[in-house]
Amino acid sequence: MKSQLKILLAVVSITASVLLSSCEAVRPFQKSYLNEEEMQLSARKVQSFEMNFESYREGAAGATGGKMGGGCGCN
Amino acid sequence: MLVACAVATTAMGQTTKTATKTRRARELSPAEVNILGSYYSQDGDHSPVTGGVGTEQLTDVTPTIIVNVPLDTVTNLNVNFGMDFYSSASTDKIDYNVSSASKSDTRTHLNVSLSRRNNARRIIKAITVGGSTEYDYQSVSVGANWAQSSSDGNRELSLGALAFFDSWSLIYPEELRGNGELLSTKRRQSYSLSATLSQVINRRMQASLSTDIVFQTGLLSTPFHRVYFKDRELPDIERLPDTRLKYPIGLRLNYYTSDYLTMRFFYRFYTDSWGMTANTLELETPVKIGPFFSFYPFYRYHTQAAAEYFAPYKEHSSTDTYYTSDYDLAGINSHKLGLGVRYSPLQGITRFGLPFSKKVTQLKGIELRAGNYWRSDGLKAFIISTDLNFTIPSR
Repeated sequence: MKSQLKILLAVVSITASVLLSSCEAVRPFQKSYLNEEEMQLSARKVQSFEMNFESYREGAAGATGGKMGGGCGCN
Repeated sequence: MLVACAVATTAMGQTTKTATKTRRARELSPAEVNILGSYYSQDGDHSPVTGGVGTEQLTDVTPTIIVNVPLDTVTNLNVNFGMDFYSSASTDKIDYNVSSASKSDTRTHLNVSLSRRNNARRIIKAITVGGSTEYDYQSVSVGANWAQSSSDGNRELSLGALAFFDSWSLIYPEELRGNGELLSTKRRQSYSLSATLSQVINRRMQASLSTDIVFQTGLLSTPFHRVYFKDRELPDIERLPDTRLKYPIGLRLNYYTSDYLTMRFFYRFYTDSWGMTANTLELETPVKIGPFFSFYPFYRYHTQAAAEYFAPYKEHSSTDTYYTSDYDLAGINSHKLGLGVRYSPLQGITRFGLPFSKKVTQLKGIELRAGNYWRSDGLKAFIISTDLNFTIPSR
């Protein structure tokens, strides 16, 4: 468990470093592509039902930017 | 729909007056109403209610409404209300003789959040409260969120905390009743801390890195799940540790390939204190057909190693401390394949008036999405979901 946590922390640190260092300064008027609906960095609202059943049918869940918990999902 | 629109227009009517008194008159963003719904069905042969064998047939219909109302130029109210109407063949087997209460049930849930933006400091703060109730399970949640974006708007850090306080009504399998309480608690608490870093990489690409730390304590097993043993005839209820720590980390990356094609990528690594590790990959490729219509095929792959306490039907020893035959905790992999379509014209699809209001509601967009799901233990599922997006102008 501790080794997995170390790997996790290393992955977070490396990915965050890459994200922060390898990017260019994009000005507001250059964001027409990024502002497209399909480019939003979140799951779609209509996808919430699928994420819900997946969190019940699989032991793993989370890190999707949404809430975790509520409801037993025991069926 | 009418109730949601009435809530939205009433809230705006009351708050707009206050806003104009205290703030410089500015156009408010329109209120947004999403009416969502889904139909889900599944079937398999590994129900935990009958010890890892038997039908898992289940259907679930879930109407949901999400209302997002700007109370003034910096404050937003978000209300999410929904219901699950489900029927489950497996929970009907809690009692082999009499059709049990859980054969069909309704779950009702409500979440309310209030967010406030500080434009000068580029900070958004939000608080949220929620609850859900079903026949044998109640849940209450509270949470807070804080987000700050960089001055150029290319980076955002979001931190959140959420707590759930849940309570079971303990229902045991019929053959295990009458021996007093089999469990020492009926409560479950879940606490999560989450962090998300979003970053613009270049003019065509942006990414976000999310991680949660989730701590659960209390009754983490399900009281009516059976476990059968290799060395004993009589089953027992599922027994699991009373704490669990979960560490998921997810990466989203979106790439604007061309005016016709976008790539949406998601990867998650998961590990927890029950010995489960999992990897999840998802790819979605929206294709634009004209400026307002798009379709998007999507594929998801998930693989997980079993929790330490899982074993199939009649493979546990009765001397074990913890045991479960719930295949949701088994070593499995799954595939999901589907298609979504989205139609969202610039001027909306149609407009209509509301009763008792001069405001005109606009049906802004429609989204429909369907997917098939296969799990390596034989469970199959199908889901179809819709989203109708309405806007109501603030004045």
